[in-house]
Amino acid sequence: MIHVEHVTRTYGRLVAVDDVSFSVGANEIVGFVGPNGAGKSTMLKMLSTYLEPTSGTIRVGDTDIDVDAVAVRQQIGYLPGDTPLYGDMVVIDWLRFVAGAHSLTGGAIDAAVTRVVDTCGVGPVIDKRIHQCSTGFRQRVGLASALIHDPPVLLLDEPTHGFDPLQVMAFRDLLHQLKQDRAILFSTHIIADVEAVSDRVLIIDHGRLLADGTLSHLCDEAGLADPSLERLFAHLVSEIGDAHV
Amino acid sequence: MSSDRHRPQLSWIDAIHLVTKRELRAYFDSPIAYIYAAVFLALSSSAFMNAFFLEAIVDMSSWFERLPYLLIVFAPAMTMRSWAEEHAQGTIEILLTLPLRSGQIVVGKYLAALAFYAMVIAGSLPIVVMLVRLGPADIGTILAGYLGALWLGAFFLAFGQFVSSLTHNQIVAFVLAALLASLFTFSGHPQVVEIIDGLAPEWQLGSWLAMSVSVLPQYETFVRGIVGLGALVYFTSMINLFLWLTQIGLGRIRR
Repeated sequence: MIHVEHVTRTYGRLVAVDDVSFSVGANEIVGFVGPNGAGKSTMLKMLSTYLEPTSGTIRVGDTDIDVDAVAVRQQIGYLPGDTPLYGDMVVIDWLRFVAGAHSLTGGAIDAAVTRVVDTCGVGPVIDKRIHQCSTGFRQRVGLASALIHDPPVLLLDEPTHGFDPLQVMAFRDLLHQLKQDRAILFSTHIIADVEAVSDRVLIIDHGRLLADGTLSHLCDEAGLADPSLERLFAHLVSEIGDAHV
Repeated sequence: MSSDRHRPQLSWIDAIHLVTKRELRAYFDSPIAYIYAAVFLALSSSAFMNAFFLEAIVDMSSWFERLPYLLIVFAPAMTMRSWAEEHAQGTIEILLTLPLRSGQIVVGKYLAALAFYAMVIAGSLPIVVMLVRLGPADIGTILAGYLGALWLGAFFLAFGQFVSSLTHNQIVAFVLAALLASLFTFSGHPQVVEIIDGLAPEWQLGSWLAMSVSVLPQYETFVRGIVGLGALVYFTSMINLFLWLTQIGLGRIRR
Protein backbone atom coordinates (compact mmCIF):
# COMPACT_ATOMS: atom_id res chain seq x y z
CA MET A 1 0.00 0.00 0.00
CA ILE A 2 2.90 2.38 0.71
CA HIS A 3 5.75 2.41 -1.78
CA VAL A 4 8.75 4.65 -1.19
CA GLU A 5 11.48 4.64 -3.82
CA HIS A 6 14.81 6.44 -3.45
CA VAL A 7 13.31 9.32 -1.53
CA THR A 8 15.56 12.14 -0.42
CA ARG A 9 14.53 15.27 1.43
CA THR A 10 16.82 18.18 2.12
CA TYR A 11 16.36 21.37 4.13
CA GLY A 12 18.89 23.67 2.55
CA ARG A 13 22.20 21.84 2.99
CA LEU A 14 20.86 19.43 5.61
CA VAL A 15 19.92 16.02 4.25
CA ALA A 16 17.06 14.90 6.51
CA VAL A 17 16.17 11.77 4.52
CA ASP A 18 18.76 10.23 2.26
CA ASP A 19 17.82 7.87 -0.58
CA VAL A 20 15.31 5.83 1.41
CA SER A 21 13.26 3.01 -0.14
CA PHE A 22 10.77 0.69 1.52
CA SER A 23 7.20 -0.50 1.26
CA VAL A 24 4.43 -1.36 3.69
CA GLY A 25 1.70 -3.79 2.69
CA ALA A 26 -1.86 -4.39 3.87
CA ASN A 27 -2.31 -6.21 7.19
CA GLU A 28 1.11 -5.04 8.26
CA ILE A 29 2.30 -2.94 11.19
CA VAL A 30 5.72 -1.44 10.62
CA GLY A 31 7.66 0.35 13.33
CA PHE A 32 9.86 3.21 12.23
CA VAL A 33 12.70 3.52 14.73
CA GLY A 34 15.56 5.90 15.17
CA PRO A 35 16.94 8.55 17.50
CA ASN A 36 15.63 12.11 17.57
CA GLY A 37 16.47 13.91 14.35
CA ALA A 38 17.01 10.65 12.45
CA GLY A 39 14.46 11.59 9.78
CA LYS A 40 11.41 9.61 10.96
CA SER A 41 9.05 12.58 11.20
CA THR A 42 10.29 14.05 7.92
CA MET A 43 9.57 10.72 6.21
CA LEU A 44 6.06 10.61 7.69
CA LYS A 45 5.45 14.24 6.71
CA MET A 46 6.33 13.33 3.13
CA LEU A 47 4.05 10.29 3.19
CA SER A 48 1.23 12.47 4.53
CA THR A 49 1.85 14.92 1.61
CA TYR A 50 2.68 17.76 4.00
CA LEU A 51 6.21 17.89 2.59
CA GLU A 52 7.34 17.13 -0.93
CA PRO A 53 10.33 14.87 -1.44
CA THR A 54 13.34 16.61 -2.92
CA SER A 55 13.75 13.54 -5.13
CA GLY A 56 12.33 10.04 -5.41
CA THR A 57 8.78 8.78 -5.66
CA ILE A 58 6.08 7.93 -3.15
CA ARG A 59 2.95 5.98 -4.01
CA VAL A 60 0.03 5.22 -1.73
CA GLY A 61 -2.12 2.50 -3.21
CA ASP A 62 -1.90 3.14 -6.92
CA THR A 63 -1.64 6.88 -6.60
CA ASP A 64 1.58 8.83 -6.96
CA ILE A 65 1.80 11.67 -4.46
CA ASP A 66 3.07 14.03 -7.18
CA VAL A 67 0.11 13.22 -9.43
CA ASP A 68 -2.85 13.51 -7.04
CA ALA A 69 -1.98 14.50 -3.47
CA VAL A 70 -5.65 14.96 -2.53
CA ALA A 71 -6.47 11.39 -3.56
CA VAL A 72 -3.53 10.20 -1.46
CA ARG A 73 -4.79 12.20 1.54
CA GLN A 74 -8.16 10.48 1.20
CA GLN A 75 -6.44 7.15 1.77
CA ILE A 76 -4.34 8.25 4.72
CA GLY A 77 -5.07 8.70 8.38
CA TYR A 78 -2.29 10.84 9.81
CA LEU A 79 -1.38 11.61 13.39
CA PRO A 80 1.44 14.17 13.35
CA GLY A 81 4.00 14.40 16.14
CA ASP A 82 2.94 16.57 19.11
CA THR A 83 -0.70 16.14 17.96
CA PRO A 84 -1.42 19.67 16.76
CA LEU A 85 -5.15 20.28 17.18
CA TYR A 86 -7.39 23.35 17.35
CA GLY A 87 -7.55 23.93 21.09
CA ASP A 88 -10.62 26.16 20.87
CA MET A 89 -12.73 23.48 19.14
CA VAL A 90 -15.03 21.08 20.95
CA VAL A 91 -13.89 17.49 20.37
CA ILE A 92 -17.08 16.38 18.60
CA ASP A 93 -17.01 19.44 16.32
CA TRP A 94 -13.43 18.67 15.39
CA LEU A 95 -14.27 15.06 14.55
CA ARG A 96 -17.28 16.18 12.49
CA PHE A 97 -15.11 18.72 10.67
CA VAL A 98 -12.51 16.09 9.72
CA ALA A 99 -15.28 13.69 8.68
CA GLY A 100 -16.74 16.43 6.46
CA ALA A 101 -13.34 17.06 4.89
CA HIS A 102 -13.26 13.36 4.01
CA SER A 103 -16.55 13.73 2.10
CA LEU A 104 -18.70 12.04 4.73
CA THR A 105 -22.18 13.49 5.06
CA GLY A 106 -25.25 13.28 7.29
CA GLY A 107 -25.72 9.90 8.93
CA ALA A 108 -22.31 8.67 7.76
CA ILE A 109 -20.68 11.40 9.86
CA ASP A 110 -22.68 10.38 12.94
CA ALA A 111 -21.80 6.71 12.41
CA ALA A 112 -18.10 7.49 11.90
CA VAL A 113 -17.98 9.69 15.00
CA THR A 114 -19.70 7.01 17.09
CA ARG A 115 -17.25 4.40 15.79
CA VAL A 116 -14.06 6.37 16.55
CA VAL A 117 -15.34 7.65 19.88
CA ASP A 118 -15.85 4.03 20.86
CA THR A 119 -12.60 2.76 19.33
CA CYS A 120 -10.37 5.47 20.77
CA GLY A 121 -12.20 5.97 24.06
CA VAL A 122 -12.77 9.69 23.72
CA GLY A 123 -16.32 9.54 25.09
CA PRO A 124 -15.43 11.27 28.39
CA VAL A 125 -14.14 14.37 26.56
CA ILE A 126 -16.48 14.48 23.58
CA ASP A 127 -18.14 17.75 24.69
CA LYS A 128 -14.96 19.40 25.97
CA ARG A 129 -12.81 21.88 24.17
CA ILE A 130 -9.58 20.27 23.01
CA HIS A 131 -7.41 22.57 25.14
CA GLN A 132 -9.24 21.22 28.20
CA CYS A 133 -8.15 17.63 27.44
CA SER A 134 -5.13 15.97 29.06
CA THR A 135 -2.18 15.03 26.85
CA GLY A 136 -3.36 11.43 26.70
CA PHE A 137 -6.86 12.41 25.63
CA ARG A 138 -5.50 14.90 23.07
CA GLN A 139 -3.51 12.02 21.62
CA ARG A 140 -6.63 9.87 21.49
CA VAL A 141 -8.59 12.69 19.83
CA GLY A 142 -5.82 12.96 17.24
CA LEU A 143 -5.98 9.23 16.66
CA ALA A 144 -9.78 9.35 16.41
CA SER A 145 -9.60 12.03 13.73
CA ALA A 146 -6.98 9.99 11.85
CA LEU A 147 -9.38 7.02 11.85
CA ILE A 148 -12.63 8.87 11.14
CA HIS A 149 -12.69 8.00 7.43
CA ASP A 150 -11.60 4.40 7.97
CA PRO A 151 -8.37 4.89 5.98
CA PRO A 152 -6.50 1.97 4.42
CA VAL A 153 -3.19 3.57 5.45
CA LEU A 154 -2.39 4.82 8.93
CA LEU A 155 0.65 7.02 9.63
CA LEU A 156 1.34 7.66 13.30
CA ASP A 157 4.18 9.87 14.52
CA GLU A 158 5.06 9.02 18.13
CA PRO A 159 1.52 7.79 18.85
CA THR A 160 2.08 6.77 22.49
CA HIS A 161 3.53 10.13 23.49
CA GLY A 162 1.73 11.25 26.66
CA PHE A 163 0.11 7.86 27.34
CA ASP A 164 0.30 6.21 30.75
CA PRO A 165 1.29 2.49 30.86
CA LEU A 166 -2.32 1.29 30.73
CA GLN A 167 -3.07 3.53 27.78
CA VAL A 168 0.06 2.23 26.04
CA MET A 169 -1.20 -1.34 26.46
CA ALA A 170 -4.65 -0.38 25.20
CA PHE A 171 -3.06 1.37 22.24
CA ARG A 172 -1.05 -1.72 21.33
CA ASP A 173 -4.25 -3.81 21.39
CA LEU A 174 -5.95 -1.19 19.26
CA LEU A 175 -3.19 -1.31 16.65
CA HIS A 176 -3.63 -5.08 16.38
CA GLN A 177 -7.38 -4.60 15.83
CA LEU A 178 -6.77 -1.91 13.22
CA LYS A 179 -4.28 -4.02 11.30
CA GLN A 180 -6.97 -5.84 9.32
CA ASP A 181 -6.86 -4.66 5.66
CA ARG A 182 -4.68 -1.76 6.66
CA ALA A 183 -1.06 -0.68 6.35
CA ILE A 184 0.19 0.93 9.54
CA LEU A 185 3.48 2.78 9.80
CA PHE A 186 4.32 4.32 13.14
CA SER A 187 7.41 6.11 14.33
CA THR A 188 8.72 5.93 17.84
CA HIS A 189 11.85 5.87 19.87
CA ILE A 190 10.19 3.66 22.49
CA ILE A 191 11.72 0.30 21.69
CA ALA A 192 9.12 -1.64 23.70
CA ASP A 193 6.31 -0.31 21.46
CA VAL A 194 8.04 -1.60 18.37
CA GLU A 195 8.86 -4.97 19.86
CA ALA A 196 5.29 -5.39 21.10
CA VAL A 197 3.33 -4.60 17.96
CA SER A 198 5.49 -4.43 14.85
CA ASP A 199 5.53 -7.12 12.20
CA ARG A 200 8.57 -5.43 10.74
CA VAL A 201 10.95 -2.65 11.70
CA LEU A 202 12.62 0.11 9.72
CA ILE A 203 15.68 1.53 11.42
CA ILE A 204 16.80 4.97 10.36
CA ASP A 205 19.67 7.15 11.49
CA HIS A 206 21.01 10.39 10.03
CA GLY A 207 18.39 10.10 7.29
CA ARG A 208 19.62 6.73 6.03
CA LEU A 209 17.69 3.50 6.30
CA LEU A 210 19.95 1.09 8.15
CA ALA A 211 17.68 -1.94 8.27
CA ASP A 212 14.33 -3.24 7.03
CA GLY A 213 12.96 -6.57 8.17
CA THR A 214 11.53 -8.59 11.01
CA LEU A 215 13.31 -8.17 14.31
CA SER A 216 14.36 -11.83 14.52
CA HIS A 217 15.62 -11.88 10.94
CA LEU A 218 17.64 -8.69 11.39
CA CYS A 219 19.14 -9.95 14.66
CA ASP A 220 20.07 -13.23 12.97
CA GLU A 221 21.74 -11.31 10.15
CA ALA A 222 23.64 -9.20 12.65
CA GLY A 223 24.71 -12.31 14.53
CA LEU A 224 22.97 -11.27 17.73
CA ALA A 225 21.93 -14.17 19.92
CA ASP A 226 19.35 -12.13 21.83
CA PRO A 227 16.69 -10.65 19.47
CA SER A 228 16.56 -7.21 21.06
CA LEU A 229 15.89 -4.07 19.06
CA GLU A 230 18.07 -2.02 21.39
CA ARG A 231 21.07 -4.27 20.75
CA LEU A 232 20.34 -4.38 17.04
CA PHE A 233 20.12 -0.61 16.84
CA ALA A 234 23.39 -0.18 18.77
CA HIS A 235 25.03 -2.77 16.53
CA LEU A 236 23.90 -1.05 13.31
CA VAL A 237 24.90 2.41 14.48
CA SER A 238 28.33 1.17 15.56
CA GLU A 239 28.77 -0.51 12.16
CA ILE A 240 28.06 2.79 10.45
CA GLY A 241 30.51 4.49 12.79
CA ASP A 242 33.19 1.92 11.97
CA ALA A 243 32.55 2.35 8.27
CA HIS A 244 33.03 6.11 8.62
CA VAL A 245 36.31 5.60 10.53
CA MET B 1 -14.49 -1.62 8.68
CA SER B 2 -16.41 0.26 6.05
CA SER B 3 -16.35 -1.11 2.55
CA ASP B 4 -16.92 2.37 1.14
CA ARG B 5 -13.38 3.72 1.19
CA HIS B 6 -13.46 5.32 -2.26
CA ARG B 7 -15.36 8.52 -1.72
CA PRO B 8 -15.48 11.37 -4.22
CA GLN B 9 -13.42 14.44 -3.40
CA LEU B 10 -15.34 17.41 -2.03
CA SER B 11 -16.51 19.92 -4.59
CA TRP B 12 -14.93 23.37 -4.39
CA ILE B 13 -18.12 24.85 -2.95
CA ASP B 14 -18.51 22.13 -0.29
CA ALA B 15 -14.83 22.34 0.69
CA ILE B 16 -14.89 26.14 0.93
CA HIS B 17 -18.13 26.01 2.90
CA LEU B 18 -16.62 23.49 5.34
CA VAL B 19 -13.55 25.64 5.98
CA THR B 20 -15.52 28.89 6.16
CA LYS B 21 -17.92 27.41 8.70
CA ARG B 22 -15.08 26.24 10.96
CA GLU B 23 -13.24 29.53 10.74
CA LEU B 24 -16.33 31.63 11.32
CA ARG B 25 -17.15 29.59 14.37
CA ALA B 26 -13.62 30.14 15.64
CA TYR B 27 -14.17 33.91 15.34
CA PHE B 28 -17.36 33.78 17.40
CA ASP B 29 -15.91 31.34 19.95
CA SER B 30 -13.51 34.06 21.01
CA PRO B 31 -14.70 36.90 23.28
CA ILE B 32 -12.20 39.11 21.47
CA ALA B 33 -14.50 39.05 18.43
CA TYR B 34 -17.31 40.70 20.37
CA ILE B 35 -14.98 43.30 21.91
CA TYR B 36 -13.57 43.94 18.46
CA ALA B 37 -17.04 44.46 16.96
CA ALA B 38 -18.14 46.76 19.80
CA VAL B 39 -15.01 48.95 19.66
CA PHE B 40 -15.12 49.13 15.86
CA LEU B 41 -18.76 50.18 15.82
CA ALA B 42 -18.26 52.71 18.62
CA LEU B 43 -15.34 54.37 16.85
CA SER B 44 -16.92 54.32 13.39
CA SER B 45 -20.24 55.60 14.66
CA SER B 46 -18.63 58.41 16.62
CA ALA B 47 -17.58 60.01 13.32
CA PHE B 48 -21.19 59.97 12.16
CA MET B 49 -22.50 61.25 15.49
CA ASN B 50 -20.03 64.19 15.47
CA ALA B 51 -21.03 65.18 11.96
CA PHE B 52 -24.71 64.65 12.68
CA PHE B 53 -25.00 66.55 15.96
CA LEU B 54 -22.26 69.17 15.65
CA GLU B 55 -22.31 69.92 11.92
CA ALA B 56 -25.92 68.88 11.15
CA ILE B 57 -24.78 66.63 8.28
CA VAL B 58 -27.60 64.19 7.59
CA ASP B 59 -25.84 61.55 5.51
CA MET B 60 -23.34 58.74 6.07
CA SER B 61 -20.38 60.27 4.27
CA SER B 62 -18.50 60.90 7.52
CA TRP B 63 -18.95 57.23 8.52
CA PHE B 64 -17.68 55.97 5.19
CA GLU B 65 -14.82 58.48 5.03
CA ARG B 66 -13.40 57.37 8.36
CA LEU B 67 -13.61 53.67 7.49
CA PRO B 68 -10.27 53.25 5.62
CA TYR B 69 -8.36 54.78 8.54
CA LEU B 70 -10.08 52.54 11.08
CA LEU B 71 -9.39 49.48 8.94
CA ILE B 72 -5.64 50.20 9.09
CA VAL B 73 -5.85 48.81 12.62
CA PHE B 74 -8.99 46.68 12.59
CA ALA B 75 -8.41 44.61 9.44
CA PRO B 76 -4.93 43.42 10.54
CA ALA B 77 -6.40 42.65 13.96
CA MET B 78 -8.87 40.33 12.24
CA THR B 79 -6.38 38.59 10.01
CA MET B 80 -3.26 38.40 12.18
CA ARG B 81 -4.15 35.03 13.69
CA SER B 82 -5.51 33.55 10.47
CA TRP B 83 -2.36 31.74 9.33
CA ALA B 84 0.23 32.81 11.90
CA GLU B 85 -1.59 30.84 14.60
CA GLU B 86 -1.78 27.78 12.35
CA HIS B 87 1.99 27.99 11.89
CA ALA B 88 2.70 28.60 15.58
CA GLN B 89 0.48 25.79 16.87
CA GLY B 90 1.37 23.34 14.13
CA THR B 91 -2.28 22.89 13.10
CA ILE B 92 -1.30 23.86 9.57
CA GLU B 93 0.12 20.33 9.26
CA ILE B 94 -3.27 18.80 10.03
CA LEU B 95 -5.08 21.29 7.80
CA LEU B 96 -2.82 20.76 4.79
CA THR B 97 -2.99 16.98 5.06
CA LEU B 98 -6.78 16.86 4.91
CA PRO B 99 -8.08 16.02 1.44
CA LEU B 100 -8.63 19.67 0.60
CA ARG B 101 -6.81 21.80 -1.96
CA SER B 102 -4.79 24.71 -0.63
CA GLY B 103 -6.86 27.09 -2.75
CA GLN B 104 -10.03 25.85 -1.06
CA ILE B 105 -8.51 26.44 2.37
CA VAL B 106 -7.27 29.92 1.45
CA VAL B 107 -10.63 30.97 0.04
CA GLY B 108 -12.54 29.36 2.94
CA LYS B 109 -10.49 31.21 5.54
CA TYR B 110 -10.78 34.42 3.57
CA LEU B 111 -14.55 34.20 3.20
CA ALA B 112 -14.91 33.58 6.95
CA ALA B 113 -12.99 36.78 7.68
CA LEU B 114 -15.06 38.63 5.08
CA ALA B 115 -18.33 37.31 6.52
CA PHE B 116 -17.29 38.38 10.02
CA TYR B 117 -16.34 41.82 8.71
CA ALA B 118 -19.68 42.11 6.87
CA MET B 119 -21.52 41.26 10.08
CA VAL B 120 -19.57 43.91 11.98
CA ILE B 121 -20.28 46.68 9.47
CA ALA B 122 -23.92 45.54 9.37
CA GLY B 123 -23.96 46.73 12.97
CA SER B 124 -24.04 50.27 11.57
CA LEU B 125 -27.42 49.71 9.88
CA PRO B 126 -29.33 51.45 12.71
CA ILE B 127 -27.75 54.66 11.40
CA VAL B 128 -29.36 54.01 8.01
CA VAL B 129 -32.72 53.35 9.65
CA MET B 130 -32.37 56.59 11.58
CA LEU B 131 -31.55 58.57 8.43
CA VAL B 132 -34.50 57.08 6.54
CA ARG B 133 -36.85 57.95 9.39
CA LEU B 134 -35.55 61.49 9.72
CA GLY B 135 -36.16 62.45 6.12
CA PRO B 136 -35.47 61.66 2.51
CA ALA B 137 -32.19 59.73 2.58
CA ASP B 138 -30.17 59.03 -0.55
CA ILE B 139 -30.49 55.26 -0.42
CA GLY B 140 -28.52 54.77 -3.66
CA THR B 141 -25.49 56.59 -2.27
CA ILE B 142 -25.75 54.71 1.01
CA LEU B 143 -25.92 51.35 -0.80
CA ALA B 144 -22.94 52.28 -2.98
CA GLY B 145 -21.08 53.31 0.18
CA TYR B 146 -21.74 49.96 1.81
CA LEU B 147 -20.67 48.19 -1.36
CA GLY B 148 -17.45 50.22 -1.26
CA ALA B 149 -17.01 49.39 2.43
CA LEU B 150 -17.31 45.70 1.60
CA TRP B 151 -14.79 45.89 -1.25
CA LEU B 152 -12.41 47.95 0.88
CA GLY B 153 -12.61 45.46 3.74
CA ALA B 154 -12.29 42.55 1.30
CA PHE B 155 -9.07 44.07 -0.03
CA PHE B 156 -7.57 44.77 3.42
CA LEU B 157 -8.46 41.25 4.58
CA ALA B 158 -6.87 39.70 1.48
CA PHE B 159 -3.46 41.26 2.06
CA GLY B 160 -3.82 40.79 5.82
CA GLN B 161 -4.21 37.05 5.30
CA PHE B 162 -1.27 37.00 2.93
CA VAL B 163 0.96 38.71 5.49
CA SER B 164 -0.29 36.34 8.21
CA SER B 165 0.69 33.38 6.03
CA LEU B 166 4.31 34.58 6.00
CA THR B 167 4.99 34.40 9.72
CA HIS B 168 4.55 32.34 12.88
CA ASN B 169 4.13 35.47 14.97
CA GLN B 170 0.73 37.18 15.19
CA ILE B 171 2.23 40.48 16.33
CA VAL B 172 4.55 40.55 13.33
CA ALA B 173 1.56 39.74 11.10
CA PHE B 174 -0.41 42.60 12.65
CA VAL B 175 2.38 45.18 12.33
CA LEU B 176 3.27 44.26 8.74
CA ALA B 177 -0.38 44.27 7.64
CA ALA B 178 -0.98 47.61 9.38
CA LEU B 179 2.07 49.08 7.61
CA LEU B 180 0.81 47.81 4.27
CA ALA B 181 -2.67 49.15 5.02
CA SER B 182 -1.14 52.53 5.91
CA LEU B 183 0.72 52.57 2.60
CA PHE B 184 -2.42 51.76 0.61
CA THR B 185 -4.44 54.36 2.51
CA PHE B 186 -2.18 57.32 3.26
CA SER B 187 -0.62 57.28 -0.22
CA GLY B 188 -3.97 58.65 -1.37
CA HIS B 189 -4.45 61.22 1.39
CA PRO B 190 -4.41 64.74 -0.15
CA GLN B 191 -1.88 66.16 2.33
CA VAL B 192 0.50 63.21 1.88
CA VAL B 193 0.19 63.49 -1.90
CA GLU B 194 0.98 67.19 -1.70
CA ILE B 195 4.04 66.64 0.49
CA ILE B 196 5.45 63.89 -1.75
CA ASP B 197 4.74 65.90 -4.90
CA GLY B 198 6.49 68.86 -3.28
CA LEU B 199 9.67 66.85 -2.71
CA ALA B 200 10.23 66.39 -6.45
CA PRO B 201 7.67 68.43 -8.41
CA GLU B 202 8.93 67.25 -11.79
CA TRP B 203 8.28 63.61 -10.90
CA GLN B 204 4.78 64.06 -9.37
CA LEU B 205 5.46 60.90 -7.40
CA GLY B 206 2.73 61.61 -4.84
CA SER B 207 0.05 61.92 -7.50
CA TRP B 208 1.31 58.78 -9.20
CA LEU B 209 1.18 56.82 -5.92
CA ALA B 210 -2.31 58.10 -5.21
CA MET B 211 -3.62 57.02 -8.59
CA SER B 212 -1.69 53.75 -8.95
CA VAL B 213 -1.24 52.38 -5.46
CA SER B 214 -3.72 53.96 -3.07
CA VAL B 215 -7.06 52.44 -2.34
CA LEU B 216 -8.64 55.81 -1.54
CA PRO B 217 -9.45 57.07 -5.07
CA GLN B 218 -11.11 53.73 -5.85
CA TYR B 219 -13.02 53.62 -2.59
CA GLU B 220 -14.12 57.25 -2.78
CA THR B 221 -15.98 56.63 -6.03
CA PHE B 222 -18.30 54.32 -4.07
CA VAL B 223 -18.68 56.88 -1.25
CA ARG B 224 -19.80 59.42 -3.87
CA GLY B 225 -22.45 56.94 -4.95
CA ILE B 226 -20.73 55.72 -8.11
CA VAL B 227 -20.08 52.03 -8.71
CA GLY B 228 -17.28 52.41 -11.25
CA LEU B 229 -15.86 49.65 -13.38
CA GLY B 230 -12.30 50.86 -12.72
CA ALA B 231 -12.75 50.51 -8.97
CA LEU B 232 -14.27 47.04 -9.34
CA VAL B 233 -11.36 45.94 -11.53
CA TYR B 234 -8.86 47.41 -9.03
CA PHE B 235 -10.40 45.63 -6.05
CA THR B 236 -10.98 42.26 -7.71
CA SER B 237 -7.46 42.25 -9.18
CA MET B 238 -5.80 43.13 -5.89
CA ILE B 239 -7.88 40.64 -3.89
CA ASN B 240 -7.14 37.85 -6.37
CA LEU B 241 -3.46 38.77 -6.37
CA PHE B 242 -3.13 38.48 -2.59
CA LEU B 243 -5.19 35.28 -2.36
CA TRP B 244 -3.01 33.79 -5.07
CA LEU B 245 0.14 34.91 -3.24
CA THR B 246 -1.18 33.28 -0.06
CA GLN B 247 -1.72 30.04 -1.93
CA ILE B 248 1.77 30.25 -3.45
CA GLY B 249 3.16 30.81 0.04
CA LEU B 250 1.45 27.66 1.31
CA GLY B 251 2.93 25.70 -1.56
CA ARG B 252 6.40 26.81 -0.44
CA ILE B 253 5.86 25.16 2.97
CA ARG B 254 5.81 21.78 1.23
CA ARG B 255 9.09 22.42 -0.61
